[in-house]
Amino acid sequence: MDIGFSPEETRFREECRAWLHANVPAEKRPLNADEALDFDKAWQRRLFDAGWAGINWPEDYGGRGLSIVEQVIWLEEYAKAHAPWIGSNFVGVNHGGPTLIINASEEQKAYHLPRILKGEAIWCQGFSEPGAGSDLAGIKTRGRIEGDELVVNGSKIWTSFAHVADWQELVLRTEDGSQRHKGLSWAICDMHAPGITIRPIQKMSGQVEFAEVFYDDVRIPLANVVGGLGNGWNVAMSTLSFERGTGFIADQVKQSQEIAELIATARGSGMIGDDRIADSLAQMRAEVAALRAMTYRNISEVVRTGQPGPEASVIRLFTSELGQRLERMAVLLMGDAAIDFAYGDDNAVGDYLRGFAATIAGGTAQIQRDIIGERLLGLPKSR
Amino acid sequence: MDLTPNDEQLALQTATADWCRDNMPLEAARSRRAGLWQDLEAMGWSAMTAPGMDLDHATEALVFAELGRFLAPMGLISTAAANRWFAGSFEGKAGLALPVTGSDAMRILDPVEAGTAVMWSAQSVALYAAPDDQPHRPTIDLSTLQGRQPSTSPVAVSNAPTSPLHLQLLSAAYAVGCADAARDMAADYARLREQFDRPIGWFQALKHICSDMAVRAAVARSQLYYAACALDAKDGEAAFHVAAAKRLADQAAIDNGRANIQVHGGIGMTDEAAPHLCLKRAHLLQFIAPADAALLLEDAA
Repeated sequence: MDIGFSPEETRFREECRAWLHANVPAEKRPLNADEALDFDKAWQRRLFDAGWAGINWPEDYGGRGLSIVEQVIWLEEYAKAHAPWIGSNFVGVNHGGPTLIINASEEQKAYHLPRILKGEAIWCQGFSEPGAGSDLAGIKTRGRIEGDELVVNGSKIWTSFAHVADWQELVLRTEDGSQRHKGLSWAICDMHAPGITIRPIQKMSGQVEFAEVFYDDVRIPLANVVGGLGNGWNVAMSTLSFERGTGFIADQVKQSQEIAELIATARGSGMIGDDRIADSLAQMRAEVAALRAMTYRNISEVVRTGQPGPEASVIRLFTSELGQRLERMAVLLMGDAAIDFAYGDDNAVGDYLRGFAATIAGGTAQIQRDIIGERLLGLPKSR
Repeated sequence: MDLTPNDEQLALQTATADWCRDNMPLEAARSRRAGLWQDLEAMGWSAMTAPGMDLDHATEALVFAELGRFLAPMGLISTAAANRWFAGSFEGKAGLALPVTGSDAMRILDPVEAGTAVMWSAQSVALYAAPDDQPHRPTIDLSTLQGRQPSTSPVAVSNAPTSPLHLQLLSAAYAVGCADAARDMAADYARLREQFDRPIGWFQALKHICSDMAVRAAVARSQLYYAACALDAKDGEAAFHVAAAKRLADQAAIDNGRANIQVHGGIGMTDEAAPHLCLKRAHLLQFIAPADAALLLEDAA
């Protein structure tokens, strides 16, 4: 075991650092949705042109074809350089793209992957429904096969970026009378197609970042089904396992910056003199260090065996809860200024309120604990 | 960068666990058999990083986590430190010396057949004469006896910056093993014990207690590996990483020890059952080379 990087990896790190130093935009990512979209697209294009988009994606589709270690180095340096959040490109780059790489046909990959990497196509996710949250297999949105098309009716909810997206990863029921995990398909849905209605949902922080999506006889070519009709559950799980594995590296680096900033803030205000605060800051600093160690262990496992170990679900759960503790501490350190929070404020209170998503989206903390208990410890399945 | 054990380390880890299972079962920790110490020495575990051994901290930490899983004698930690830092002036077994708060006496943990004892401080490790001629008293940890003697001057002191970190790392490894043992004991029981006509591990209320034990153990073990590698690499932040490892390992050991008793229910509270052995070891370990919270805040500047 060792924590050193090879001379080639160190050289790569220096290249990342140099480019980021020269290119990270001085202005902040705008909060207004339309301005944010333009900002995200322009930044993604700049990353692509310089060869930093899709570092571990196949070269045939615009990636660099490098290993996951280089990807980790890039994400570490990216966060250290305070480069902007990937924003509306999140789903395409982190979920949709990787799912297509694993499951899609050559035609589907050749069309979509370069567009995702260049920031030309924005993606959103269409998994959850009002009646299918933690119980995702309860999906009711239907796709009736008519000739070479699916005719879709139903609704999806909690869809981030729905209002700006061009494409959606849509999981729907394509076999009449099918139950649970069977009879589902994973399709690429054109978000500009007739019959789609988007109802934005305001979060308790004031931001309008997700939406409910309604489908009224929306027509999707059968050629847009990924991984074959009826195979949607397996395709969806490949996305979710990616989410639970290597998709959160940048967040982890950010947490190490956040704890350093919190300690500095507490020193500045004198609040570090409160033993309770000092002790929780010390605790979180140790936990952030352990999180990096755990991520490195997981990456090492991927390098050694080709896939993340079962402990990836532990990382997911631990990161999300640690992030929430950090956000809560940031609010505590604000003191009575927290009283002044108003809808839409981009401050620690806003982060804290939005941060509740971390233990809900993509599998709740309770579902993660089920997975850990069942897959890691071999306890009987409760569901 | 590679934070997974290599094939050689994996083999050593497995061999250690196998040996412990056959020769030093956890359930027998309350009264260890005669001759165990000599066997442990013969296996080489008391001198893995002694001069001329050519083994790294990562390998030593991996093996000590396995030993800790079976609640191996506390004297292994101090003897490994003595063999490494006082080579030439030391041989045999060293107990683990701790000051007694409010008195000028010191405790010697695991004094049986020892002639010396090692005391840890944040700056150094020191070797004391500690002949095994005092009456033995129990400690909270049923597997560890103690002697008392007046404080004296050390016969040797190591001020090498790595020496306190080494002992802290080994005690963190013991705590990681202890946390693993409690996790596995709880999960085994939750698969077996039935109530309401099904294994209690079926119920989320119990399953999630076990999952949290797995999280704590994974977090502590990961940081242990990183800290050991940082020490091997002479990393400037090694002291921070070892302290973080010790803090998280102590917490995992105590919290998992407590959770294990809860999962076991009534039987978990009995002297007859094994869960309290892990909990009591955890409470002892938190006094060995404890992590300094100020150090965890310091490096952030």
